Amino acid sequence: MKPHRLLVAMAAAVLMVAAAALLFTGRGGVQGAGPGTPLVGELRGALVGGGSTFLNPQMQAWSREFYRATGGRVTVNYQSIGSGAGTAQLIARKLDFGASDVPLGRDRFEELGGRLYQFPVIVGSIVIIYNVPEASYASTGKRIRLSPEVVALIYMGEVRQWCDERIRRLNPELADRLPCRDIVAVHRSDGSGTTGAFTLWLSRNYAPWASEVGHGYTVEWPADKVARGLGAKGNEGVSQVVLRVPYSIGYVEYAYWSLNADRYDEVGGVAEVLNVNDGEYYFPSPDAVALGVSEALRSYAEEHGAYPSASEDWGPVTEALVTPPRGYPITAFTYVLVWRDYSAEGYADPATRASLIREFFRWVLTEGQKPENVVEGYIPLPPEVAGIGLKALEGVRG
Amino acid sequence: MPEISGPLLVFGVAAYVLSLLVLVRLRLRWGLRLLGLGMAALVGAMMGLFLAEALPALYRYGPSLFLRAEWDPPREAYGLLNALVGTALTASLALLMAMPLAVSFAAAVNEYAHRRFKAVLSNLMDLSAAMPTVVFGLWGLFTLQQFARWANNLLASLPPPVGWLFTPTDTGLGIFTASVLLAIMVTPYAAAVIREGYALIPREIVEAIYAMGATRFEAILIKLRYVRSYIVGGMFLALGRALGETVAVAMVVGGNLSRLPTSLSDTGITVSSLIALQFPNAHAYQYMVPTLYAGALLLASVSVVLNLIAVRYLFRR
Amino acid sequence: MNRRALINRAGQALIVALAVLGALPVVLVIVDIYARGVPAIVRIGVVEFLTGLPPTPLDEAGGIGPALVGTLVMAAMGAAMGIAVGFPLGVYLGAYRHERLAAVSQSFTNVLVEYPTIAVGLFVYAAMSLALPAVNPVLRATLGIEVSQFSGLAGALALAIVMVPYVAIFTASAYASVGRELREAAHAITGDEAKALFVVLRKAAWRAILASFLIGTAKIMGETAPLLFTALGNDYYYASPHEYVTGPVGAVPLLIYYMAQTNYEVQNEVAYGAAAVLITLVLAVFVLARLTSREGL
Repeated sequence: MKPHRLLVAMAAAVLMVAAAALLFTGRGGVQGAGPGTPLVGELRGALVGGGSTFLNPQMQAWSREFYRATGGRVTVNYQSIGSGAGTAQLIARKLDFGASDVPLGRDRFEELGGRLYQFPVIVGSIVIIYNVPEASYASTGKRIRLSPEVVALIYMGEVRQWCDERIRRLNPELADRLPCRDIVAVHRSDGSGTTGAFTLWLSRNYAPWASEVGHGYTVEWPADKVARGLGAKGNEGVSQVVLRVPYSIGYVEYAYWSLNADRYDEVGGVAEVLNVNDGEYYFPSPDAVALGVSEALRSYAEEHGAYPSASEDWGPVTEALVTPPRGYPITAFTYVLVWRDYSAEGYADPATRASLIREFFRWVLTEGQKPENVVEGYIPLPPEVAGIGLKALEGVRG
Repeated sequence: MPEISGPLLVFGVAAYVLSLLVLVRLRLRWGLRLLGLGMAALVGAMMGLFLAEALPALYRYGPSLFLRAEWDPPREAYGLLNALVGTALTASLALLMAMPLAVSFAAAVNEYAHRRFKAVLSNLMDLSAAMPTVVFGLWGLFTLQQFARWANNLLASLPPPVGWLFTPTDTGLGIFTASVLLAIMVTPYAAAVIREGYALIPREIVEAIYAMGATRFEAILIKLRYVRSYIVGGMFLALGRALGETVAVAMVVGGNLSRLPTSLSDTGITVSSLIALQFPNAHAYQYMVPTLYAGALLLASVSVVLNLIAVRYLFRR
Repeated sequence: MNRRALINRAGQALIVALAVLGALPVVLVIVDIYARGVPAIVRIGVVEFLTGLPPTPLDEAGGIGPALVGTLVMAAMGAAMGIAVGFPLGVYLGAYRHERLAAVSQSFTNVLVEYPTIAVGLFVYAAMSLALPAVNPVLRATLGIEVSQFSGLAGALALAIVMVPYVAIFTASAYASVGRELREAAHAITGDEAKALFVVLRKAAWRAILASFLIGTAKIMGETAPLLFTALGNDYYYASPHEYVTGPVGAVPLLIYYMAQTNYEVQNEVAYGAAAVLITLVLAVFVLARLTSREGL
């Protein structure tokens, strides 16, 4: 029966490694506790949240900095299971908070609106990248300009080549450098808030897109129907495909372009996008993005008489963000969703949970928006927007 | 919702415990039979869950859910036909490429490799089982894509009938690339099963083969016929992996969710990767989650049917 | 005769060529992982890499500590369960393959290996939400602990379901190929079905069975999808060991899955370092097991 002994030995080996690893756990707590101003009070405990993939790198950073700031007493475990799943798992009471690139849909909101708070924690901005070696930024010093109409027509498979008259008309200075090559329209194949904001922008700025395609986490790309499209997984997938496939165009989160801007400039670049309301083309600089967000919220407030609050339907805000009076026009918020009353929702130990939620997100909306805590490629909230969440947190009860 | 799966799961666990007890105390064969039943119960429980979750979509769309190629969430219009076609194409193409490689690897490593080298090679191949598939996916996107583009365009330039199956591509991403990547990923699984079987061929049989005057190559062929139960086992393992693989396929298949592919070079999608790509945000829609479960149910049902046919056929003989 | 010799040469050359073609990509990917992973581990430092918390984009270094612990715990539990079910099941499928029930059971096993692993995770998720309300009061009363919906236990269960068909299909192939003479001899000598199957015949097929345990374990150590809605993931350590079973835990493949697809150098680096650690760990288990096995037999 020797193999039995072998099995025991194998099991023992695995267990020993596991035990050794477990011993390190003691060190883990101490090790993470670095510099930083310890928070007052005896806050201690763990939160579990999940949702938006886009938010993940920034949320990891917030979680870790908060962990350090509390001397390792508070762990916020955030996992990027996707916006839709994050919302669904929060509503199923399996998570303490959720994060989503899209606010609650109207039906969900009407069902739960009174019990949930949703507030923005970061600004997202979508940029349009292209691979056209003949007209690359590195070789021409100029960026291709695009209007929502032309972008829509490309993704509808109607503008088929870079030398199309409708593209050349927007780019008189690059007109003779735009090659007559077929455009590959790269889009996401996974559901994503990035696609949501991009297609919402197309819908609100080019009517035929709204009626023929619509907007959402995933849409039926007309370009796919005529074999002009190419689906890629994640922001990373789209950016890698655009870098590798000549004559392609794609849309990614700001961070995926800004960290590799030089590489895009070699093969093409990032488009300057037309804001149809003021007729200007905007390069996606952090200032132009911040301008777009502030102007959008200002116009929203003028129309509705006030800024939105955390217990409102945020649908109209997302629409305002893609039709700002001035500034870069393709932006969206990422929202955090929390319960209003954790004991009423049946959570265990609701008082601690509510106070952890309050303290963590209070920190996120104040300290977390400072440059040293914002990850490169993310754009912090304008202060008046951060205030919306801060106000809501006062109402979170345990 | 999962009312069916709960009792079935309980039954599965109970069947296992019972079978162990029976195994020790009473008749071994009945204990094992109970365990076999437990397996069927587990699969039954999973399919019950899929069915329960899929019902809303099945009611709403009827058979057209499986007969149309469509993926239009804003209008809640879904059809899984292209995902099924993509699954069938990638899995069969991958198996077609992988099986000769796996059989050859198993034979070569046993016939020619030095004892040390053999162990190293076998361990390396087995190691690939542990590699997270995202690593394969990224490798496919970065490295394989270039090769696949070249190979695809070469195949497309061949005379018919091969040339008809392919069209030239600029992107190097699509069903063909996904199939190649899948073949690479499943070869080690099939190779491992066959390799172990090959190594277990009794010496008397090998001696008998050579005693009959067979050449080395003929001997290999005879030995491969001798280990056919391992080859079948390896093939099922490889087929299973090819059907079930999600992330790596999703990264290179070109994510065309809404149109039937027109050639092997075209972009497409598979059922498994559709589930992995779309599930994280599916709850935002009313019928997407049920549709994805319907996809999982269909995948499982098709393979149950295929397997039962295989069983029937084997019984006849 | 000349033609036979020619076919012999050509056939052998073909087999070697195809074998190389089959092995080359796998070797290339492994080389790629080490080429990118080892420098990362060296830069960060082995101990820090193995025990540190995963880096955020604001950090310059970090490790895979909590994920490594989670993977070890879940893989050990999952492999134990997977072998406990898969091995006897495989014996049944192989040794009694002429029984109709065994044939049906075999086809269900084949079906199980085809399930998209994310669907296995969803199944365990549903089973957990069903079982926990009944189990937790008992656990609270007896042990004073509670298992949460997302937990190491759920992850291990999902991994076990993934592992069972591997062990079973391998084992079944091995038992099916045992010659009739040997089987009859085994029964005659022992006079006991259990002894014949689990002692004598097991020895004949042990190589293949061991390979199935190892490949199955390797497979579940590298699985991502079944853990998404079961283990969930965790970037932090727990204070007490039992929480790795009862609470959400990280896993190396989950960490790689996220970090390989971000845009931040330090996270990409750690992802490949983690992949290198993972396959080294598996390699160590392989070598250890195969060495002991050779001595054992």
